[in-house]
Amino acid sequence: MSLKKFSELFGDLDSINSTNNKIEVLNNYFSSNDPIDNSWAIYLLTGKNNKRFISGRYLKNLFSKIYEYPQWLIDTCYLKVGDSAEVITLLLKNKTNSRKKKLSDISLNELLSETIPALSKLNEEEKNLEIKNLWEKLPEDNHLIFNKILIGTFRVGVSIGLITKSISKLINIEEEIISHRLMGDFKPSIDSYEFLISKNINLQELNSKPFPFLLANTIEDKIFKNSINDFQFEWKYDGIRMQLIKRLGNVSLWTRGQELVNESFPELVEKMSHIKDDFVLDGELLVWNFKEQIAFDFSLLQKRINRKSPTRSIQIKYPIIFIAYDLLEINGRDIREIKLEKRRIELEKYFSKWQIKTENNISDIFKICDLIFPKDWPDALIYKEKSRENNTEGLIIKKKTSIYSSGRKKGIWWKYKVDPMQLDAVLIYAKGGSGRRAGLYTDYSFALWKDKELIKFASAYSGLTNIEIKELDKWIRKNTIEKFGPVRSLKPEMVFEISFEKIQISKRHKSGIAVRFPRITKWRKDKKINDADSLENAYKLMKKKS
Amino acid sequence: MRTKQEYLIRYKDGNLYCELADIWIDPSKPVKKALITHAHFDHFTFGCEEYISTRETGILLKERVGDNIKIKTFEYGEEFKINGINISFHPSGHILGSSQIRFIFAEEKWLISGDFKLQKDQTCKQYEIVKTDYLISECTFGLPIFKWDETNKIANDISKWITDSPQKTSLLFCYSLGKAQRLLNEISQTNFKGNIYSHGSIHKMNKSYRELGIDIKDTIKIENKKKIDELKGSLILLPPSLSKGSYLKNFKNIQTAFASGWMSIRALRKRSGYDKGFAISDHADWNGILEVVKKSEAKNVFFHHGDSEALSKYLVEKESINVLLLGK
Repeated sequence: MSLKKFSELFGDLDSINSTNNKIEVLNNYFSSNDPIDNSWAIYLLTGKNNKRFISGRYLKNLFSKIYEYPQWLIDTCYLKVGDSAEVITLLLKNKTNSRKKKLSDISLNELLSETIPALSKLNEEEKNLEIKNLWEKLPEDNHLIFNKILIGTFRVGVSIGLITKSISKLINIEEEIISHRLMGDFKPSIDSYEFLISKNINLQELNSKPFPFLLANTIEDKIFKNSINDFQFEWKYDGIRMQLIKRLGNVSLWTRGQELVNESFPELVEKMSHIKDDFVLDGELLVWNFKEQIAFDFSLLQKRINRKSPTRSIQIKYPIIFIAYDLLEINGRDIREIKLEKRRIELEKYFSKWQIKTENNISDIFKICDLIFPKDWPDALIYKEKSRENNTEGLIIKKKTSIYSSGRKKGIWWKYKVDPMQLDAVLIYAKGGSGRRAGLYTDYSFALWKDKELIKFASAYSGLTNIEIKELDKWIRKNTIEKFGPVRSLKPEMVFEISFEKIQISKRHKSGIAVRFPRITKWRKDKKINDADSLENAYKLMKKKS
Repeated sequence: MRTKQEYLIRYKDGNLYCELADIWIDPSKPVKKALITHAHFDHFTFGCEEYISTRETGILLKERVGDNIKIKTFEYGEEFKINGINISFHPSGHILGSSQIRFIFAEEKWLISGDFKLQKDQTCKQYEIVKTDYLISECTFGLPIFKWDETNKIANDISKWITDSPQKTSLLFCYSLGKAQRLLNEISQTNFKGNIYSHGSIHKMNKSYRELGIDIKDTIKIENKKKIDELKGSLILLPPSLSKGSYLKNFKNIQTAFASGWMSIRALRKRSGYDKGFAISDHADWNGILEVVKKSEAKNVFFHHGDSEALSKYLVEKESINVLLLGK
């Protein structure tokens, strides 16, 4: 019932890879601790606690001051560890007197609702003294959690989904119900925990449950042998797949990851609640460019999904739309067993009814997906190639006679994604990674030729295997020309194939271009730097697109 | 000040070399004469004309390289002369037979620390403080984030890790020479009383240790066809090279751990792919290196095997010790 127990839980979760074992550990914890600490534990583990009492930099400065440690030495250590809270924890080891550990049994509740919030009321000098004091009094094993909470970086490999599974198993109630209970403003308290583990399910909870999602498979060659008329074609949007549910007047919005996200998109929930019918829709949420009628970049959507209760100005700045693909339930009737082509007719029918009959205009936030009608397979290919122009990732191909089953079922839906653009570029800078990649050079910058000069055009950090990362890290250390803080300039020698989704003019970059989602797709050990592409080739790619 | 070429010992082709005696220390390529600090594979190479080491290292080397090498061995502290240079081996506490090597020439003392640790280890001789003018030290863990726990605490953690999961087979990965025997020795003093198995490569080293008079627990050599039930609740020691690939398919319901100093950092622990990491090392931690630099009374220090920048800067700023570069 204490910070100590919670630290142990953190250590256990951190060293377990199997989901089942994690659930077991969580259940043991929940059943052996009191409700108030459990509610705090859930609050922390689900990342709801993002308040920062001091910054990571402040923490490092404070340690440097108290223990007369040179700042540069702490910074060097940070490069190896990649986490301010952990660096200070490691440096604190053996520095505090073990006889002074008066707080070895402090409860999570006391620490989080009294001790730490009290820091905010102190002036800087008092605050520093108090933190030092707490370091002295808390057992060393608890320093990591304490420091992480202080700087608001408490994260562990536990998703909200795992907590949901664990509670679900603990009280033997379906995950969707728990998910519903965990949504929203979960405030740590005895009541909130008791509600979470209550075995009485109310009607509203039952009614918010989504259906299992049906997922598309990667395209297979054999599909081209079929008649084009057997299939329905849609654009593949790059947004968040969701089910939009209205039952008994209540609207709920579920992601594929079983997350209820009503609070991030209140305007959609509000608008849809005006529709008279009840329904379950399968579709995609996007930030929408209403002028050009295409989706904005996924990055804008991220600005919405991570924000609970967005202000009016955020809602205007990042206007969302829900594009429905499919109708799964209408006025209490589950229609997943009818053929897709018939469900589509129903969807179109209800959509036009809602457009006319609903008091508020719904078309500024909701529409159904447009269908595409290629004449034959080569024509479908042309559509696919054009998908970049309207900011989609390719096509979704659905068998007209299919029913809506669940999972990644074969032979029903396919995704036909557009190929990425690629250039071969030369590695010129490397920077140390953080977090899991701490201590390795994992952030890379790549250049293209302009006359006889190499000009930086993109940075990427994903795409290499762990073995390749280690190998490249070794090479980087041996082939450094100069160091600028964490960045090293490198001997131009290594060529990589860089793939990306989009290329556009940019005045902010020396190269004059910016690319989207650059990633490493091949280490071209077979190529010399003179074989790398030129900036001119990049411009050609851009022209080809428009 | 002298140029690098005028130092008694310097770097040549990536290896430590004493020109006056025409002798190499732990060379990575075949040479005429090689002084070997200890029998880990990254400290010697096959094909040298002559090896010189401590008696224990000599035996371990023969175990690893074969009987037909030419090797001259000495006891700790015993001095011998090559081209007028007095050379002697001193315990470095790293593994059985491991040594520091001291050179005395024209009243100038040089000390190569070899790999070393200060922590107590019942399977090898305790590190001996040796005074010197010039010190060449390793600095594998040369940052203050590295501070080792008492060995028995780690051993108890390992014991708890095994006994907490009685249904599982616990695979502990560790270097087959030195670390494995130290762990065996420590674990046998904990509450864990189950069976301990070891891989052939470790089993062989255990045998050599016992022949050299080190009292360590006998383990069962692991056979591929062991029944799964028999292994439940027991500990198996394996070399890290077997952690990736198909070898693990020989076992069912396992938990894995790696015993290494690097495991004190969470990011490395996560990246390693083992379920658990135990931070135990046969190298000195930050305080250990500082202590050795201080107690050796060296006026000039060189570092190798590690990121020496921070350590060097710290010594120059805080302790006013002269830190030099030996070249590559």
